[in-house]
Amino acid sequence: MTVLPKTVVITGATSGIGLATARSLAAQGVNIIGAGRSQSRCVEAEALIRAETPAARVNYFVADLASQRQVRALGSAIRELIQREFGGKLDVLINNAAAVSDWYVATEDGYEMQFAVNHLAGFLLTYELLPLLEMSACARVITVSSGSHYHTRMHWQDLMYRKHYFCLSAYKQSKLANLLFTREFNRRLADVSNIRAYAVDPGLVNTEIGAKGTGGLIQWFWNIRSRSGISPAEAAKTIVYLTAIPDIPQKEAVYWKECRPVEPSQYSKRADAAARLWEISEQLCGIVYTP
Amino acid sequence: MKSYVFISGAAGGLGKAFAAECASRGWNLFLTDVSAGDLSILTSGLVRLYNVEIIYYPCNLTDPASRDELWKIIQQRNLRFHFLINVAGVDFEGPFIERTSAELGTIIRLNIESTVDMTSRALHFRDKTRMLRIINVSSLAGYYPMPVKAIYAASKRFLLDFSLALHHELAESGVTVTVLCPAGMPTTPSAISGIFAQGFMGRITTKNVGYVAAKTIDRALSGRMVYIPGVINRILRFLGGTVPPSLVAYFIGKRWLKIRHKYNGEILKGV
Repeated sequence: MTVLPKTVVITGATSGIGLATARSLAAQGVNIIGAGRSQSRCVEAEALIRAETPAARVNYFVADLASQRQVRALGSAIRELIQREFGGKLDVLINNAAAVSDWYVATEDGYEMQFAVNHLAGFLLTYELLPLLEMSACARVITVSSGSHYHTRMHWQDLMYRKHYFCLSAYKQSKLANLLFTREFNRRLADVSNIRAYAVDPGLVNTEIGAKGTGGLIQWFWNIRSRSGISPAEAAKTIVYLTAIPDIPQKEAVYWKECRPVEPSQYSKRADAAARLWEISEQLCGIVYTP
Repeated sequence: MKSYVFISGAAGGLGKAFAAECASRGWNLFLTDVSAGDLSILTSGLVRLYNVEIIYYPCNLTDPASRDELWKIIQQRNLRFHFLINVAGVDFEGPFIERTSAELGTIIRLNIESTVDMTSRALHFRDKTRMLRIINVSSLAGYYPMPVKAIYAASKRFLLDFSLALHHELAESGVTVTVLCPAGMPTTPSAISGIFAQGFMGRITTKNVGYVAAKTIDRALSGRMVYIPGVINRILRFLGGTVPPSLVAYFIGKRWLKIRHKYNGEILKGV
């Protein structure tokens, strides 16, 4: 018999897959801590979940994950809430938030937006919440990657695609980074802690992500393409499945789709790339993970 | 002696791109912008990424007293520069009649007065062991009279002429002046929606800021006078030069007003 976790943090929880995951878990009695960029969308999402599940314990925080300062502030707000109300324990962190941008946009830290939001923010937030995850008997860090991570490699000479930016290349790289992060996290922490990391391929989902920071052709193409996608609720099933406690079969498998382990790209299995990205990410966030 | 790259407007989209480009070349930076908080965050981010030395000091460049204070600090710390990149600039878009006198004054003070002042002072704080490269950020708008952007375009025209003249005046003294004339720059959400509003033309005339910053530095190092990013923009500039300015102003005016109507209409409809 599987048991659901008690407390879950979900980023990008005001729409798409993040919101669907929050709704589904809340309906099953899980405490939801959501994060979103827009105040009004956070309020709406919280109200929606409460309307569906009146007994739900839901808290939303506003944070723009493109800003490391705001990721840190989010981490400390969540720590404080969990200490105060949820017994100081976090069972699952779902790094779901992602951005797409047609143009090279530098964040306030001077980093490329997609790399900052899709990879660095999750890396930093996981670090911020590590002490709470360590208190859980069986914790998970689930990062929403994508099939976009196939057929690409890390662009080490210019990780931020600053000089020759192409939206899709930067997006694909950030999704590959999600897998490398997950793999390296397990290599460093799975044996010495009770936390295990997973990456999820939600499949082609009918959300707005491809139309958010884009226009013209890319927006048009996304609108056509996403219509044939599955619903966010369908995509959330794999994430919900991976949160279940005490255990899932094949728990060593890193990459999951439709509630089954699938084979990630060859590049994503490269230990040297995973270690290198980890070190760079620590440097860029100004942190050192110590188990 | 260490010398630095001076970048004004460093916390804006193009400023950040120049800062990242220069830091990636291993150069030490001196950054200024209005907000000390923004500069501090950007500085720590770039130091972690490129491991160069970065000094910053906030300054309201539209205020002569604030500029005096900035240069006093530079003098006290005995800083020397081998690059000056005047990025700081502003526009309050919309019909002239809707602009307040304060807004018009700010465009003129920031785009014209402060750029001239920074350039003049930097010449006295140059690293005499190296060439001094000056980059001024004008605009494709500097080539034409532009209805709806009248003051902005005229201020950019000033920067264009000022830079071209200075380039020749200082040629013998180891100083090069390069003037950057880009089309729309996708640096902020409002700039990006402005580009979308222009449709196909907006897209094909727009280049990424990271690319523009890198190419501009290359051009400055080779002593080029003018850099217009993008082949289409160079063609537009060439064609624009063959037509009388009043005719160009007429067509630009028609086009901008049409875009504004369409754009405002969309906002009203909540699209």
